[in-house]
Amino acid sequence: MNRLVPASLASMLILAAAPAQADHCPTDKLGAMPDRLAEDGTAVAWRTNPAKIAVNRPFSIEVIACVDGEKQMAPTRISVNAGMPMHGHGMNYTPSEKKLAPGNSTFDGMVFHMPGKWQLTFDVYEGETRKRLTRNVTVRR
Amino acid sequence: MNHRRIAGCLVAAAALLLVAATDKPVTFDADETDLILSHGPWPVEMPPDPSNRVSGAPDAIAYGKILFDSADISIDRGRSCATCHEADRAFTDGKPRGGGIATVDRNTPALYNMRLNRWFGWDGKSDSLWAQSIAPILDARELGMTADTLKTRIAQTPTLASRYRQVFDTPINDHDAEAAMVNVAKVLAAYQETILSGKSAFDWFRDALAAKDAGGIAGYPDTAKRGLKLFVGRGRCDLCHFGPNFTNGEFHDIGLPHFLGPSRVDKGRYGGIKLLRKSPYNLLGAYNDDKLRSTAGFTRHLRLTPKNWGEFRVPGLRNVSKTAPYMHDGSKKTLEDVVKHYSESPEDRLHQDGEKLLKPLNLTTAETADLIAFLRTL
Repeated sequence: MNRLVPASLASMLILAAAPAQADHCPTDKLGAMPDRLAEDGTAVAWRTNPAKIAVNRPFSIEVIACVDGEKQMAPTRISVNAGMPMHGHGMNYTPSEKKLAPGNSTFDGMVFHMPGKWQLTFDVYEGETRKRLTRNVTVRR
Repeated sequence: MNHRRIAGCLVAAAALLLVAATDKPVTFDADETDLILSHGPWPVEMPPDPSNRVSGAPDAIAYGKILFDSADISIDRGRSCATCHEADRAFTDGKPRGGGIATVDRNTPALYNMRLNRWFGWDGKSDSLWAQSIAPILDARELGMTADTLKTRIAQTPTLASRYRQVFDTPINDHDAEAAMVNVAKVLAAYQETILSGKSAFDWFRDALAAKDAGGIAGYPDTAKRGLKLFVGRGRCDLCHFGPNFTNGEFHDIGLPHFLGPSRVDKGRYGGIKLLRKSPYNLLGAYNDDKLRSTAGFTRHLRLTPKNWGEFRVPGLRNVSKTAPYMHDGSKKTLEDVVKHYSESPEDRLHQDGEKLLKPLNLTTAETADLIAFLRTL
């Protein structure tokens, strides 16, 4: 019995150290996403609610992100932000994330508080590696 | 034709050209028209505030008006809300900085159309009109009350006590002092929600433009039209002052000094966010009557950053000609001073850590006059 204890501990440690089975991103939902970006094997697709972003009104954004090119795996984390590079400011609000599925989240509380050119930023993390994709969006009064 | 006659003709021709230039009808292209139309129509729909269960209730509005004018809600019975928010001064006081018992650090905001705000106070430390109404009651420099003294004062004043019972179906003595104070703030808010500005000369012009009514368009002065063209064009004023109430309701640093004295700084929005987050009266707290928290999203998602330092709320511009002096510190006596500030924006003061939004407009004397003429029509 005494010999069995270290062996069990060792097997538990091996199990703990093994990488978790990675999930695929929900590609079946991609068709519902009107906007997409892809770069170097990382892709994001998204839709806003409401579909048309109105100046100074809150909106949410649902995002699907995939990494690892054709394998279409879910990233470990997604974050969304926005700013007006020409004005040198970001949003006055921090969106909150609701995870819907691996690689699929909705971010609530987005507000573009001024008219003009905004830059929407998606940060897609695979472990410690971050890939940033951006899209310019013009909001009118 | 001698030289004198030639010179005379030239002078006459120049004068004609000048007249032609100044009389040239002011027109707006399609983009300008869209921007102008986005400032209306006015008035806008204003549904009751879901966070305030007495918002829009006639008996609460009437009680709120009585309390607003009553010196019984100040510690020395020497002043009321109306002392600083004077109805015949667009509900402000005409002073650089307001004050009841003592002078405060900021200009008294006019109350017109306050209901449309997202944030209240120059620093946005409140997220509802009722929460903002608590601040002057408790501020030792303004009305100087506590929740306990307020409750006692109302309980001992029969007309105020009976009205309280009528609005809330409960004697004030059956409520704890803090709940009673919040209720008082909610009837004060219900009254302030009714302080709305009427249709302005600009609104009539805007509606005429929407209807392509040539007569109505022609009735709006050309100098105001030129000022409006600047406002939505080169001046870029409507980047912040947009929509029917001419504000985005958010916060910007426009290069005014932060110092209140040798050792005191007004933190502006930075301090306001911190106060809001720790306030028991914010929309995430127990006193919000809307259990769904449907209007609390902005508070929930609010972001505090170093750029908030020295930012102040963008005021709406309706009735602006009646609300001098201007800015959060009352440092600009006239509209001319305000326009001069933007015409000569201190770039060395701006663009350090914050926004790269303001650039000196370098307005001519005529352009300054036009912009002010437009502002006077709001």
